[in-house]
Amino acid sequence: MKNLLEIQNAHVYIGSFYILQGISIVVPKGEVTLLLGRNGSGKTTTMKTILGIYPPREGKIVFNGEELSNLRTHEIVNKGIGYVPDTRRIFGTLTVEQNLIVSMRKGGLKGDVQERLDFIFDLFPDMKRFYKQRASALSGGQQQMLAVARALMNDNDLLLIDEPTEGLSPLLAKNLINALGQLKEFATILLIEQNFRAVSKLGDNYYIFDGGKIVHEGDNMTELIADKARVAQYLGVSIK
Amino acid sequence: MTMQRKRFSPRDYLEENPQARKILRIALVIALIIIGVLSVLAAINIYSWDGFVVKASKSLVNGLALSMLLFLMVSGFFLIFGLCDVINFAHGAFFMLGGFMGFTIYLATEAIFLDPALPFYFIFGANQFAMSVTAFIVSALGATAVMALIGGGIEFFTIRRLYGNPIAQILLTVGFMFIITQIAEIFWGPSQFSYFIIPNSQINYFFISGIFDFGGGLQFAVYRIFLIFLGLAVAGLMFIGFRKTRIGLQIQAGIEDKEMVEALGTDIRKLFTIVFMLGAGLAGLSGAVLVPWIGANSGHGLTYLIYAFVIVVVGGAHYGRFEGTFFGALVVGLSIQITSYFIPFLEDIIVFIIMAIILIIKPGGLTGHA
Repeated sequence: MKNLLEIQNAHVYIGSFYILQGISIVVPKGEVTLLLGRNGSGKTTTMKTILGIYPPREGKIVFNGEELSNLRTHEIVNKGIGYVPDTRRIFGTLTVEQNLIVSMRKGGLKGDVQERLDFIFDLFPDMKRFYKQRASALSGGQQQMLAVARALMNDNDLLLIDEPTEGLSPLLAKNLINALGQLKEFATILLIEQNFRAVSKLGDNYYIFDGGKIVHEGDNMTELIADKARVAQYLGVSIK
Repeated sequence: MTMQRKRFSPRDYLEENPQARKILRIALVIALIIIGVLSVLAAINIYSWDGFVVKASKSLVNGLALSMLLFLMVSGFFLIFGLCDVINFAHGAFFMLGGFMGFTIYLATEAIFLDPALPFYFIFGANQFAMSVTAFIVSALGATAVMALIGGGIEFFTIRRLYGNPIAQILLTVGFMFIITQIAEIFWGPSQFSYFIIPNSQINYFFISGIFDFGGGLQFAVYRIFLIFLGLAVAGLMFIGFRKTRIGLQIQAGIEDKEMVEALGTDIRKLFTIVFMLGAGLAGLSGAVLVPWIGANSGHGLTYLIYAFVIVVVGGAHYGRFEGTFFGALVVGLSIQITSYFIPFLEDIIVFIIMAIILIIKPGGLTGHA
């Protein structure tokens, strides 16, 4: 199967607000798919729709050939989806270690933790230093590492990563994007990123959102960056 | 992974943990207030010094014992509120019913042990102490289990349908409070009747009924001292459980961010049911072990529900701080007992006076934000 995830004509309401107005997305296996667009255009809602937090009123979501639409969030996630939310949402009262343990879907307190940790420490060597600290005491960059690491505690086929570089310094952001590049070998990634130039090397395909609809899609990031009119219209960044 | 282990130093620990520093500060404040209150009372009672020492030590011991048990009950209330966002108005009724369960199970166990047709009769023989200890353990665990099942059942069959609808939850749990209270009244009569183990026990014996006598009227019921340690032990177990077990960590994480816990693959509804069972079980346990002291009484439901509210508000647990329940329980338990010895006419209202003062000067309670 070529496509790991397919969203087919999804219409999503939050309360009485009509947020996603019939979007269709294909996430090919082993590739990085970017969701671009301004704040409030429906990118995060799309992720939450995949997770079943806002189930679609109409339309289908197919993951690994299985329909997800009627499943509950934890059942969907257990099919092999890791989630790195925007604003990190780490558990501040727990330590880094406890955050990671809570995120493991299988296994006990010890169990397979070590094997996972080796992988995570390879990716984020810094984490060894603050592994035993309370998560609320971490800096923004450290919290973001933890948020990504949480999604790596399980064997996930798909990672949903929402604005990972938000609020990070340019250097930290660059390091994080490099780390995401390494993850590409292990999982398919659906990535929301405001700073789309920074992830232009990472992305294989992209979708541009505007007002709850997809207004443009493509698989050539260089072309997109060169298309200044489109960038100005939908991505709301100044052209340097 | 190898990490360098440093030698433990309390000073470094406090510097690295602002949380621990804060808790220590609050504990100190409470201790100072208690010492202050007692000094004022000492000044008033200066002409009957002996009487003062007796009353002060008794009120401290009783206050600590009550505080520990209130803490167990309220931590159940807090868990349900923290994780499930349900204000469980039936919690006091769980506590009250736990008392009756403890009482009934104790007497039933004792009756079984005393039945000559059953093998237990030969195991215990005339060893009343062993029989009573066993019956007590069975009654405490039994009341916990029964209340956990009732609490879990109520969550599973009714409250589960009402998440996200706080008004309906309040009406429902208030309804359960009345239903449970009424059921208790049908079986055991109205609140004029209190049931204690001693006159009702067939052998008229309970394993801790003695007093520590330090002379000069300085006598403490052993059971109340035992309750202090029992409360501390259960609180310690809970503390370890929350830090060292996966489910404990999941509950803590869920109190912070339910949606995220679910998005990481935990069945949050199952966790809600478990927390309801745990909360109701803790109410049942504290109700059951308090029977030898305060008795089982159908009127306790409302009284202890109100204590639970006061403890949450005073401690600041409504701001999501678990340790708030501990300090709140300490303040409520001690103030009730101190006033009952020194200013008896204030005993029934002291907790509300304290609550009003705290709400005015520190709306976030002892541990919450101002």
